[in-house]
Amino acid sequence: MLATIRSLGVKGIGGYGVSVEVFVSNGLVNFDIVGLPDAAVKEARERVRAAIKSNGFKFPVSRVTVNLAPADTKKAGTVYDLPIMLGILAATGVIRQPKPDCAFFGELSLNGTLRHVNGALPMAVAAAREGIRELFVPADNAQEASYADGVTVYPVENVSELIAHLRGEFRIKPMEAPKLDPTAVKYLDFADVKGQENVKRAMEIAAAGGHNILIVGPPGAGKSMMSKRLPGILPDMTREEMLKSTEIYSVAGLTGKDNPIIAARPFRAPHHTVSSTAISGGGTIPRPGEISLAHNGVLFLDELPEFRKDVLEVLRQPLEDGEVTVSRVAGTETFPANFMLVCAMNPCKCGWYGHPSGRCRCTEAAAARQTRCAHTTAAYPGRFWIASTSLSRRRRSSMKSSRIAHRPRARRI
Amino acid sequence: MDAARLIQRRRFEGTDILSNSGMNTKALNTYCVLTPECEQLMHEAFDRMGLTARSYDRILRVARTIADLEGEKTIGAMHIAEAIQYRTYDFRDNI
Repeated sequence: MLATIRSLGVKGIGGYGVSVEVFVSNGLVNFDIVGLPDAAVKEARERVRAAIKSNGFKFPVSRVTVNLAPADTKKAGTVYDLPIMLGILAATGVIRQPKPDCAFFGELSLNGTLRHVNGALPMAVAAAREGIRELFVPADNAQEASYADGVTVYPVENVSELIAHLRGEFRIKPMEAPKLDPTAVKYLDFADVKGQENVKRAMEIAAAGGHNILIVGPPGAGKSMMSKRLPGILPDMTREEMLKSTEIYSVAGLTGKDNPIIAARPFRAPHHTVSSTAISGGGTIPRPGEISLAHNGVLFLDELPEFRKDVLEVLRQPLEDGEVTVSRVAGTETFPANFMLVCAMNPCKCGWYGHPSGRCRCTEAAAARQTRCAHTTAAYPGRFWIASTSLSRRRRSSMKSSRIAHRPRARRI
Repeated sequence: MDAARLIQRRRFEGTDILSNSGMNTKALNTYCVLTPECEQLMHEAFDRMGLTARSYDRILRVARTIADLEGEKTIGAMHIAEAIQYRTYDFRDNI
């Protein structure tokens, strides 16, 4: 009356193996889950009960105990719905105990179809490391999980299909990992930007050497427009970079059926009201923040002086180390945070200081205060070097991003 | 761009430095040796702009990247000059 089903969990941005043990015995009718489950894991009881019944099987009228091992690690989310259900079916003899090199995860709906869960790729990577050969995942997660090497991924649409497969009555086709082609990614193009040659040149140098950059200029000069086009002139992502970024996005719940892999260099532009926790990452169970989502890409802070001081302070250590360590009661996690910092600001409050039109009404002192913001960033490692934008449109060349990125020798403009 | 990145990858092979922006003092001393002419230029810039020791290193890193972009082995006066120009502190004069 005991069944063990292998499954996986997520901690930080990495996965780890979980054994789901189900014990069905005589006694008072009860259904209990132990192994430090959170509220979502506990609610699995109702989903599992409904899914079993609505697929025409009998839910045991006995005492059911589910243990999620290792029992001293906190379990979160809905990934254990499927293994718990299979454990009950195996313990009651509806199906045979699956082979020990098979693992399962997925959220159940009440009628037994499988739903998308977060962290599919980190779990698939961990599965391969744990010696699991066959991994059954919700169909919506299948493509993302298939990028992990060394494990065969089966996309599961619903419970009845999976049970037929386990009984040998039907065969689910394994998911083939599509080829990763970084050159197929479409970025915004620098050709849309007319003029501003000095800024383009500054961005080219910054992109080539991985330097951080601060752009200062009046409103409408194109600071944001050009920053958005910066990922397009960075080198194409390598396979390792794509997988690492995908793991981060997957844990943050930002991957899905339509974007199973992060193939384009990330561009994150948090609003200036952002909190320091949202930037660095955090929460009761630490989750990646904006700087980790910008890993391998660009973090863009528009209107730099408007950001809170603690937000700017929190960037210092990650800029130095390329990673961020978040400590909470639930544990300490280190997330990768190797990004290129791009900041933009106006030269004064109204934005027109020094402009030939003379429309700036700011006092000298007010403009100086704004400038001082650039000083707050002075302690950043590899702190910005400054490029100023102008409204001049004298030279209106518009070179394509692909030319900037790939021409053999960059020429002075 | 590709070429400049390739130069850096070869240069920092076997270290944990990823790009020019990550060069530490030791790497700077190895890869950013200045000609007397460049030294002179840096000294003048220091005196006139009141640069600090930190900004000295930063100018060197950027100058290294500019030289890499042009495929030059050694940093020239032109590269230094351009790097200094991007550090112009009182940018309000430039608008």
